[in-house]
Amino acid sequence: MTARRKATYAVVLVALAAFGIWAANRVSGLSEDTQATNPLFRWEYLFTRERTPGELWGKTRQHLELTVVPVLIGIVLSSLLSALILRFGWLRSVVFTFAGVLYTIPSIALFAVLVTYYSNETAAITALTSYTLLILTRNFVAGIDAVPRAALDAADGLGMSRFQRLRKVEIPLALPVILTGIRIATVTVVGLVGISAVIQLGGLAIYIFDGFNRDYTTLMVLGTVATILLAVVLDIVLRGIEWLATPWARRRVAP
Amino acid sequence: MSLAALLATTEPTNVWQWLNDSSERTVTGDIPTQAWTTLWHSVLAFVIAAAAAIPLAAVLAHFRKAEVLSTWLVNIGRVIPTVTIVAVFVIISLRNGYGFEPWPIVFALVLLALPPLYSNTYTAVRDASPEAVGAARAMGLTELQILRRVELPLATPLILAASRVAITQVVATEALAALFGGTGLGQYITFGIANRDIYEVQAGAVLVAGLAMSVDLVFWFVTRFLVPKPLRPAPANRRPIHRLRPVQPINRNTPSLGGTP
Repeated sequence: MTARRKATYAVVLVALAAFGIWAANRVSGLSEDTQATNPLFRWEYLFTRERTPGELWGKTRQHLELTVVPVLIGIVLSSLLSALILRFGWLRSVVFTFAGVLYTIPSIALFAVLVTYYSNETAAITALTSYTLLILTRNFVAGIDAVPRAALDAADGLGMSRFQRLRKVEIPLALPVILTGIRIATVTVVGLVGISAVIQLGGLAIYIFDGFNRDYTTLMVLGTVATILLAVVLDIVLRGIEWLATPWARRRVAP
Repeated sequence: MSLAALLATTEPTNVWQWLNDSSERTVTGDIPTQAWTTLWHSVLAFVIAAAAAIPLAAVLAHFRKAEVLSTWLVNIGRVIPTVTIVAVFVIISLRNGYGFEPWPIVFALVLLALPPLYSNTYTAVRDASPEAVGAARAMGLTELQILRRVELPLATPLILAASRVAITQVVATEALAALFGGTGLGQYITFGIANRDIYEVQAGAVLVAGLAMSVDLVFWFVTRFLVPKPLRPAPANRRPIHRLRPVQPINRNTPSLGGTP
């Protein structure tokens, strides 16, 4: 894609966003007086209220914790599951069906039912971990499946053991797909953490609920923007890791 | 009889008793009504989203226009929290006096179902076997005929898989709408949490998950009949030598079809 095309899309996106904000302002259906007292966004909340920065930092930390811990647990569990799948082929459909069923359970239901048995944090982390399993396992297995036959044969020809082959050939070659899986899982979990507000957690998304309940849109905008920023930042960080970890994939020939 | 003893005899002691005792559900209404509300909201939203996204994506993919849009849509759909979309629509509707239901919720659900439907249809039609498309063109089919008779049939498996993901996600989010004053099965969860009634919460969770899973199962069953015969997995003993190749999601950026539970 050329830079010019990118610029066009960026302009279109900005225009759409601007139209969205303008339309929301128009559509919010308030008279001029009410608009003055209850506008869409009130900057004072961010700049003159002393408690906001500390509060925002606390919520961000909670959100990060609820994202990173499930993804890390998910990585460990998915590695084990992928290893089992690669060793025992018949487990493949069993594991994927199981993970698929877990992914089908609505998050609000899973949070609600787990919280009746465990503490809030445990329930949230368990539920979020269960959603990372499908994405991670599928990517891990797909990455290792896609390793070219020739590379495997060469490794066997060099006299590598099964474990050496996995460590020195298969995992490095599958790394881009594996890291993409981790990135997608992380971004998905950032969005899902918001739903844990049903069990009094919720990280930054608490602002969205709070703003909704008080008809105070500033808080909703704050919660949304902060959540999106967190997701985008994590996405960029993980893309950076991907770039650093796979130096051979950088010089890609244009198709 | 003391109050404690009375409570002990009338209060349900597990989720199955709660489900069987209709007197417990006076606040939130009976189960079939709530399930029906959830179901028709979801189905309506899904139909609107599919009617908008699938034809558009198919035509754009056939002419190879706006290729970046599909990855962008998936990424945007993943990044924007579901909670926000529902909340924003409900707020707009309330301020204009349209109430909590059903339009704000249905529109929010439509918006949520669009990215997986659009991007997977796009990928599927774009990656339809170029040999088959070339053959059709050589036979003199017009572009729209190629789209309708060659590309769309080859793309069906992936489109149906994406639809299944989308409708499951829509049912799950309909339950979420109860947090913003909507009705539906999610109300048992929110009311249960507000009243600290464990069994109501558990019952709500079981019902929501059950509905989502049954919709998923029904869709899986329908998928088996809607996929064109040559693309269905044939029994192992009479597998033909030449088979048409259905489109698989090969794009590394969208391996999970999009969608959040």
